[in-house]
Amino acid sequence: MTDHQIMSDVRNGYVEKLAILFERHYVSLFNYFLRLTGNREVSEDLVQDVFTRILKYRATYQGEDRYIVWMFKIARNAHIDALRRRKEALPLDEQLAEPADAEPLPEDRLEREQDSALVSKALGLLPPRKQEILVLSRFQHMKYREIAELLDCPVGTVKAMIHRAVAELGEIYAALTREKCHDM
Amino acid sequence: MTCDDARAHLPDFLTGELSAKAKSSVDAHLAACGACAEEFHKVSETWMKLGVLPVEQPSAALRDRFYTMLEAYKEGLDARTADRKAEKAFSIREFFSWKRPAFRFAAAAALLFVGLAGGLFVGRSGAFNEKFARLERQVDDMRQTTALSLLRQPSSSERLLGVSYSEQMRAPGEQTLTALFRILDTDPSVNVRLAVVDALFLFAKDNRVKDGLVASLGRQESPLVQVALIDLLTEAREQKAVDALKALIADDKIHPDVREKAKQGVKNLTS
Ligand SMILES: [Zn+2]
Repeated sequence: MTDHQIMSDVRNGYVEKLAILFERHYVSLFNYFLRLTGNREVSEDLVQDVFTRILKYRATYQGEDRYIVWMFKIARNAHIDALRRRKEALPLDEQLAEPADAEPLPEDRLEREQDSALVSKALGLLPPRKQEILVLSRFQHMKYREIAELLDCPVGTVKAMIHRAVAELGEIYAALTREKCHDM
Repeated sequence: MTCDDARAHLPDFLTGELSAKAKSSVDAHLAACGACAEEFHKVSETWMKLGVLPVEQPSAALRDRFYTMLEAYKEGLDARTADRKAEKAFSIREFFSWKRPAFRFAAAAALLFVGLAGGLFVGRSGAFNEKFARLERQVDDMRQTTALSLLRQPSSSERLLGVSYSEQMRAPGEQTLTALFRILDTDPSVNVRLAVVDALFLFAKDNRVKDGLVASLGRQESPLVQVALIDLLTEAREQKAVDALKALIADDKIHPDVREKAKQGVKNLTS
């Protein structure tokens, strides 16, 4: 059964079926918000918010959009509203920090985790719009056409922004690496 | 191809969506143009680098909150019914408290039933039995449709979900049985085939099911599925299985454990 068929059923009153859509997408939505906010707690609240909104606005689901695009429109609105509500999100370092009582990590894992912390930090330093486009394309595997539909802009703009976003991310990452070497 | 043309293809190059024709033009340009080659290399490297970020798992509390919210929303919709006590016996959350994906999917199906049947456990009027029977038929139809569509999905977890839907029917229809037997014989995933054996076990009283299982025994190649089928047929005391079991024993390509199992089966069935 496709997401679209299930969502149509939810709209038509079989709200229990939302459980199927939740099971299919909650991890993906959580990761989307986590990349954007850097905060696990906030991200979980936002996932909950998305499904609450889906129920609330289920009557407006037309199915002209692909379900995924519709769901991410709701996700973006939830995120924007949350940003408005709380001006300052927790700094990225906080959620990436090792728990105090963690076992010492083996050498290679330590290196890998430091690397992913650095990539994540670099991502957090990108301007919001570029960050968002990159997350949608790289982690949500959305097609440029779908992103264009979601952001309501031409496909050409999305592609140009992807190129600039990745190039910029590379520079930020290189700068962070230099900084880190400097520290040692 | 100019440098601008080449760079316009970079985003599609990253996601692997470049057509073969465009790719060969881009490759030709990169071989001749150092500046573009460097740009492509740098950007691809950063793109790949993003792959080190792991997929994170949210806490269990998230699912818990979702099901609480869904339950509350359902209750709001059904607010007209006065007494909810009887329904409380079915805590949707408890159904979903297990981590196992297959169980979660089965629980999603159960939830559909609980949701629809919910209103019936209150205010048992004279029309109760008739209404309940009609509802059971509706739910069965819904499961049948859902199961059939899921059983055709390319992802094995969706097919497993389809099998678990089938399991919850009181009597599977002709179409569902055909789909289940097709999966039992041809599904690339052993797990899905084993799940079908478990599902069919519930309907083993049905002669169509028994005959289908006996026929399938001769077609299976995975020892795990063979053993599961032998267990099922022995437990169902299916006499028609004796010949199929003897054929297995005579097959010299068969796994020794399976042969042993088949011998025991014949002994049990003929004693
Ligand atoms: Zn060039």
